[in-house]
Amino acid sequence: MRMTHPLLTAGALLSMSALTLVGCSGSSESEKAADTNDHGDHAHDEQDEVVYKIGVIAKSNSNPVFLAAKNGAFAAGKRLSEELEGATVEILWQTPSMEDAQVQAQYVEQLVASGVDGIAISCTDANLLTSALKAAVDKGVIVVTFDSDAPDSGRMAYYGVDDKEAGKEVMRQLAKVMGNEGKVAVLTGNPAATNLQARVEGVLEQASEYEGIETPMVYSFMPETATEAAAKMQQVQTANPDITGWALVGGWPLYTDNALDGIYENAKIVSMDPLELPLEYAMKGQVQVLVGQPYYGWGEKSVELIVNKLHFDQSPPSELVIAEFDIVTTETAEEFAKNWKLWLGED
Amino acid sequence: MMMGLLTVYGMFTDPIEQKTRIELDENAVVKLIDRDGNEHDQFPRPAIAAYHIMLDAYTKDVTQVHEYEAEDIESYDSDTRTLHRAGNWFYNLFNSKIMLKEYETISFLDSEGLLLTPDSLSDIAVYKVESVVQVDVDSYDETYPSSDIDRYDSKKRTLITVRQVNRFFNKSNLVLIAKDASFFAIIAVGMTGVIILAGIDLSVGSIYGLSAIIGAMVLSSMPEHTSWIIAVPIAVLVCMAVGTLCGLANGAMSVGLGVHPFVITLGMMAVLRGLTVVIPQEFFDTQSISGFPTSFTTGFFKAEFYGVYPVPVIIMILTAIVGWFVLSKTVFGRRVFAIGGNETAAKYTGIPVGKVKVLVYTITGALCGLSACAYLGYYGAAETNAGNAYELQVIAATVIGGASLMGGRGTVIGAVLGAIIIQLINNTLIIFEVDTSYNQIVMGAAIIVAVVIDQTKQRIQAKRA
Repeated sequence: MRMTHPLLTAGALLSMSALTLVGCSGSSESEKAADTNDHGDHAHDEQDEVVYKIGVIAKSNSNPVFLAAKNGAFAAGKRLSEELEGATVEILWQTPSMEDAQVQAQYVEQLVASGVDGIAISCTDANLLTSALKAAVDKGVIVVTFDSDAPDSGRMAYYGVDDKEAGKEVMRQLAKVMGNEGKVAVLTGNPAATNLQARVEGVLEQASEYEGIETPMVYSFMPETATEAAAKMQQVQTANPDITGWALVGGWPLYTDNALDGIYENAKIVSMDPLELPLEYAMKGQVQVLVGQPYYGWGEKSVELIVNKLHFDQSPPSELVIAEFDIVTTETAEEFAKNWKLWLGED
Repeated sequence: MMMGLLTVYGMFTDPIEQKTRIELDENAVVKLIDRDGNEHDQFPRPAIAAYHIMLDAYTKDVTQVHEYEAEDIESYDSDTRTLHRAGNWFYNLFNSKIMLKEYETISFLDSEGLLLTPDSLSDIAVYKVESVVQVDVDSYDETYPSSDIDRYDSKKRTLITVRQVNRFFNKSNLVLIAKDASFFAIIAVGMTGVIILAGIDLSVGSIYGLSAIIGAMVLSSMPEHTSWIIAVPIAVLVCMAVGTLCGLANGAMSVGLGVHPFVITLGMMAVLRGLTVVIPQEFFDTQSISGFPTSFTTGFFKAEFYGVYPVPVIIMILTAIVGWFVLSKTVFGRRVFAIGGNETAAKYTGIPVGKVKVLVYTITGALCGLSACAYLGYYGAAETNAGNAYELQVIAATVIGGASLMGGRGTVIGAVLGAIIIQLINNTLIIFEVDTSYNQIVMGAAIIVAVVIDQTKQRIQAKRA
């Protein structure tokens, strides 16, 4: 058949690629966290040595917060391998290049078929991932969710912040810098995203506690890009020059330069997500407070929870392991920025 | 050739541990035994040499509970002890009554789960049917060496057993590869026809997404206990109807307006993706829709056979057989090749070029709908991102399978194998524990080199001829 020619070629390329990757897999990013020595033999070849294989699935490889989670997971794997007697922890990083719940579900199934002991996952869509995670749990795999939960999946635990509390914290910080009075606008992305809905709800609930603050108006934008967010803020501020405070439940506009020109002069701004670019706004004094999530901890703590269960048969006291917020101000922004060097493995 | 490749994978992979669960009886006593034979309740896993499980025989009462939401029940007849299901006659055609057995008791709960008294039955939220059966539990005393047991989960009182299997050559992995390939392989069957016509369809991912969302809306409106005989045909019809309409629009606009299909389908890709995002937001205020009848998901598309879920694979194989037959054994198929080979010549021979083109795009749309239906059934939900960037994978599968983007050449079987090869790349990277970021590099390189070598061969053969 004529069609077999390119198939043969592709097949041959595939086998060559596979063999090449076998050769270089030891130096790839999914290298075994515990392989700190140069010995060719892996720990699991030795009798009495237990190897815990943990797959880590984040939402996307292109988001820096998940790069921090990745480094946290590898660091935890390496540290636990050194600390635990008779056990080695291997981290397998399996994350789609862009957010795709179906691909995440496929990775879950493939990791289970390849014999992992645990999976840590940030769920792009809980509905779509629930059945795949349930099947993993049914096969004895320990599942921990971080950042975004799938509560009906039978997972052992969720690690992350409470989104409603995050919204409340943003409003609390904003009220403080506004002197508990003024007109507040809330910026959110996809209005249908459940985590953003919870944050907005938190902002509104907290705002109702301040007599001097009017009930905030909520402005959403789609698609969730930095330029769309910055444009929305500019339009709203121009149309409503009496706005004196902005509560950003995500850091979208702060991923561009000069997004706050014409805004920061008139209003105080508090945002989620103290990433590298938003931190520059804080250092310039254009953003007063940034409320952070435990990006590095998403990977680190999730791996710890799984290993505790696998090694010591210990579950966390509650299924919900709620993390603390990082509060970053203009004064502490420079110091906080150093964390990113560690979290992104630049040190 | 494929078998040779598989053998290569098998040779280069170490065995892996495949796990299964044994749920222990609530009265079973579990002792962990160290290498000196001493028993413990808990200690680090590497120190465990054996697991000792003991249970004395006893009889226990097991309560079985079925709960029916009030919206699914029209009425309860206390004389005949029968629950009459709600919903239209079509849904209930095969299963409209639930007759309680003698040993079953019924109670009525309000929306907060509180028991209702006979004089306040207007507030019924849940009909709860209970039965108690006595079960004899046999005694048990067994010691498992740690090599047979992966670990013991004391919270769930579950033993995880383990056995060694080949990492690649095990049925779970092989079916998984075929299943993951099936969603875009089904679409690739239609895309083969489009590419043979020297056309292109960039909207297949968006058609897939829109069909899935519309299908999900219909499925989520069905009562939970709807029979698969009702749910499956309705879902297939709805998804395929949406896909067919989108495909028809692609073909009709491309042929009718005389605009290259690249432009039309590029525009449709954006329009349909927009609808996929907007519709669930407007109607459900969410990004994803779930809550389908279980008869549609685990009862059909995710039905388990011998530990694997093969239904999407079976659909892929059937689609490929039909596609192969249509393209190679029918007049319509020969016309598609004739148009792709030389459209002008085909016109002069009396082939209705426009009609054939519209039909090919329509069939491709319908197959997107079919694939979307399989996706709904397998994953039990639809999200607005469904099928995003699928067009690239589908075109890649078709081209790897031997189709020429210049038209006039391609096979359905090749496209399906192309899809499987793409999934093999994914699977190989996972088996060898390589970061999936390498996936795109390997796949892209494989496509480029495969096509370049193929075209070079074509040129050489043409020169020789």
